[in-house]
Amino acid sequence: MNGNRILVVDDEPQIQRFLRPALSAAGYDVFEAATGAEALKAAATTAPDLILLDLGLPDMDGKEVIARLRGWSHVPIIILSARDREAEKIAALDLGADDYVEKPFGIGELTARIRTALRHKKGVEVEAERYAVDGLDIDMVRRLVTRGGEPVKLTPKEYDLLTLLARHAGRVVTHRTLLTSVWGPAHGEDLHYLRVFIGQLRQKIERDPANPAIIRTEPGVGYRFAEAA
Amino acid sequence: MASSADRHDNRPDPDALLAAARQDGRGRLTIFLGAAPGVGKTYAMLTRARKLKADGIDIVVGLAETHGRGETAQLLDGLEVLPRARLEHRGRSVEGFDLDGALARRPRLMIVDELASSNPDGARHPKRYQDIEELLEAGIDVWTALNVQHLESLSDVVADITGVKVRERIPDTVLRKADQVILVDLPPAELIERLKDGRIYLADTIQRAYERYFRLGNLTALRELALRRTADRVDDDMVDYLKRHAIEGPWASAERLIVCVGPDALSEKVVRTASRLASGLNAPWIVVSLERAEREVDDAAQARVDSWLRLAESLGAETRRIIASDFVTELIRLARREHATQIVLGAHPRPRWASWLGTSLADEVAASASGLGVHLVTGEGAEPVPRPRRMSIGLAERARAGAVAFASVLAATLIGTGIDRVIPVPNVSLLFLMAVMVAAIRAGYGAALLAALLSGLAYNFFFIEPLYTFTIAAPHEVFAFIVFLLAALVAGGLASRVREQARTARARAVAVQSLYDFAGKLSGTAKPDDVLWVAVAQLHTSFGHPAVALMPREGELSLAAAWPPDAELGVADMTAARWAFEHGEPAGQDTGTLPSSPYQFRPLISPHGALGVYGLRWGGDPIDGVSERMLLAVMDQTAIAIDRARLAEEAIAQGARLQGENLRAALLSSISHDLRTPLSTITGAVTSLRQLGDRMSAASRDDLLLTIEEESARLSRFVANLLDMTRIEAGTLDARSDWIDVGDAIRASQERCARYFPRLGIVTRIDPGLPLLRGDGVLLGQVLFNLLDNAAKYGGGQPVELYARVEGRDLVITVTDAGPGIPPEDLGAVFEKFFRRGNPDGRPPGTGLGLSIAKGFVEAMGGTITAESPAQPNRGASPGTRMVLRFPVPEGGSIAS
Repeated sequence: MNGNRILVVDDEPQIQRFLRPALSAAGYDVFEAATGAEALKAAATTAPDLILLDLGLPDMDGKEVIARLRGWSHVPIIILSARDREAEKIAALDLGADDYVEKPFGIGELTARIRTALRHKKGVEVEAERYAVDGLDIDMVRRLVTRGGEPVKLTPKEYDLLTLLARHAGRVVTHRTLLTSVWGPAHGEDLHYLRVFIGQLRQKIERDPANPAIIRTEPGVGYRFAEAA
Repeated sequence: MASSADRHDNRPDPDALLAAARQDGRGRLTIFLGAAPGVGKTYAMLTRARKLKADGIDIVVGLAETHGRGETAQLLDGLEVLPRARLEHRGRSVEGFDLDGALARRPRLMIVDELASSNPDGARHPKRYQDIEELLEAGIDVWTALNVQHLESLSDVVADITGVKVRERIPDTVLRKADQVILVDLPPAELIERLKDGRIYLADTIQRAYERYFRLGNLTALRELALRRTADRVDDDMVDYLKRHAIEGPWASAERLIVCVGPDALSEKVVRTASRLASGLNAPWIVVSLERAEREVDDAAQARVDSWLRLAESLGAETRRIIASDFVTELIRLARREHATQIVLGAHPRPRWASWLGTSLADEVAASASGLGVHLVTGEGAEPVPRPRRMSIGLAERARAGAVAFASVLAATLIGTGIDRVIPVPNVSLLFLMAVMVAAIRAGYGAALLAALLSGLAYNFFFIEPLYTFTIAAPHEVFAFIVFLLAALVAGGLASRVREQARTARARAVAVQSLYDFAGKLSGTAKPDDVLWVAVAQLHTSFGHPAVALMPREGELSLAAAWPPDAELGVADMTAARWAFEHGEPAGQDTGTLPSSPYQFRPLISPHGALGVYGLRWGGDPIDGVSERMLLAVMDQTAIAIDRARLAEEAIAQGARLQGENLRAALLSSISHDLRTPLSTITGAVTSLRQLGDRMSAASRDDLLLTIEEESARLSRFVANLLDMTRIEAGTLDARSDWIDVGDAIRASQERCARYFPRLGIVTRIDPGLPLLRGDGVLLGQVLFNLLDNAAKYGGGQPVELYARVEGRDLVITVTDAGPGIPPEDLGAVFEKFFRRGNPDGRPPGTGLGLSIAKGFVEAMGGTITAESPAQPNRGASPGTRMVLRFPVPEGGSIAS
């Protein structure tokens, strides 16, 4: 039992009905809220370690819940959303949600996302200096990237992009976040930059650039850096 | 200086390039120009055509006049000749050039002889050059022939030389715009020789033609004209070439002419002279009409000025109007602005004494036009246009004026003598003055004149010593009498002018008011068709002539509105209307195209393109200036109103589309939610059991399994509902027709309901001896289940009553819940697809399909379904809802019978 507290915000009783026993069995303390108002209240009173939030709530938009929560809390938020609601997902992520899981989802996928989010929460200030995944090694201190021991030559932009993704390993990073962080606030919409640079990066770091394993595409939303196994 | 800088750039003049480029796509016009008939234009044309034909050029003779000349006729051998069209006009059948045939044949090059000819009545255009214009427009090259005497600008010169007034004239612009002019020349002596040999015209007309026209002097003069015109052309071509190729050189002289015209007859001569001057100088020219701002211009004068300006335009001038108090200043200002070098104006010969009265316009212009050349055109025997009679009025009007004059003078006389008996008045003449003014105001200038005369007589007869004679004794009375007469005339004149002005002002006010009303009516109409109806009604009231409006419908122009509403358009009218619409120019009566149509059609043009066509059946007279302006105003307003109406319609359609899209998006999201939630639950529960099952209590595992079962059932119901709905929508619902026992169907659905909603209480009351129904037992069972399902969700947990009984000829089944009921505004909508009323906790529990499926099934079996709420009005907060099914009892369905 790790004792982390999870607030599940969903208005569908069926969803609550299976999440409660499942998350309890996975070792979390589960709290429930069916509306946005309840969610905000519960977030204040129970101080959860993570919030699972369905965006379609009867009383207010899930995005508004995020915006209000982010006014005073850095608690990790994982969105439960549908595949066909990209715009909503992106907006939620840009508002400060940490990750999302698409319905319908398996419990394994959900608990993996929960673990990643909780881990990052703990390490908010402590940034790793090294990332090693799938034969790729990133040494942030020496600004050195190697692939199977061989140094990989990267342009400064490619390096920035790679380290930004790596720092968020396991979590999705939206296009906008990547663009504004690497290219600057004026380039938030220049998706083609990103496509080109990600393509180049994959050529340099992936074992099989056609089937990328390190930088995975989250269609319509952004990219996700593989977590060290 | 900008212009010299341009030249030094050695860049081609963009205008010249543009003109060259504009030729692309348009046919090229070649004119064979001759001095007189018989010089061999047709011959030259056909000889060349044969040569081109031999080179394989697609060439067709559209029309060639051989005038019975054998050698010319021979040339036609081997050339394709377009058959002439037969035109039926007023019962007569005439032959003419087949324009439509030519356009349909579409050769590379077409020969159309006799450019200046008129077409027979009933043809599309009255003049052949207009036919040719259409051929060129269609991209067909045209060769044609022209004698120089037919040029508009030369018509007076030719008349002077030959003494023959040429009736068939063409605008000079046709020659100017021709791409190539080929001079066909023959020395006059030789021409006369040919004539004598009988090689020109037919034999019996030789003598007359010879005497009237073919004199050596005439022919020489005409030949010079033709040579000069061609030389001008060559000069123009040279300048064009220089401009296009940016060759520096003495380009066209920098001359620019400003030409003044007024309503007088001399102005026509001024225009023609200026045209020759301009073409001789190779100079652009602007014709300006001058009007004094403070003076009323009568319609006849306006019409004359308009006709001079039209003439000038046909001769290639630009035209302007100056309306000013001091138009000499305005004129000079215009001349400076346009960089004019010369001013051309007409000067009437004035008697010497006239110069004492004031300077003439020519003198004034000459005095202020420093640096400008002033060119005076004098009229010989200058006949000023006869002043239009002020009183061009009918007999009745004239009689009325006389009566008014007589009556007012009689009244003045009676009053005068009456007063004179009581107190002698020294100034009785004032009374008569008043009588004159009354006559002037009531009946105009003529009446004022008559009244002045009568007053003079009466005053003399009754009031001046010796009385009752027309003689005057005292010398001072003679003086007073003359002064009275003069005063009466002046006062009468002034008063009648006031009357005229008041009348004009009134007419104008009426016109303005009518336009204003029209605008008001237009602003109240929302649909383009209504706008057109308002507009034709307005045209009809304004002008008193039938008016029609046509709009394109499905690619075809068709009658959209007409006043009077029963107006019909013939084939000729429709052709003219279509032409006007397609070419964006007026057609029909009084125009150059299809003038045989009694309607004049004008295109209705908005900033967004041609909208349609207006037609006005204008009887007889050409449209005058005032009506023209009114017509233009009405058309402009209509075009704007239609544009506005169209935009409004589009906005509404856009709104509806958007609403439809929103609805579809909402439906999609609702369906995907309904499908996804059970799927998510099942996936989540199954994966939880597999991965975490060993860490759960037995109760938790059981609950997860139950959740899976329930959600699977829910999913299956929803999918079944969707499929049912699809069948209803697709029209493939195939209701079986069996005898069904309603009681059985009710019991079956009740049992099924008990499985899904075990906590729902159902009270049934089935009247004994219910008749059988014809229909589909499965569908009826599904309907009842859906109604019970609905009652379970919205019934507030109270028992549901299910009754079946016979009412009249119907079998009625009711399902009544005791829930909160349905607000009246939603009652009609509950059977709509995906209509869901939210629960108090904000969760829509159903799929929004159950009731609409029930409705579809009931209707498939020939029954009806309605919702009633409140079902029990006296039950306060839970009045409930009653669903009523009504099926007609079929023949033989009743057990009792």
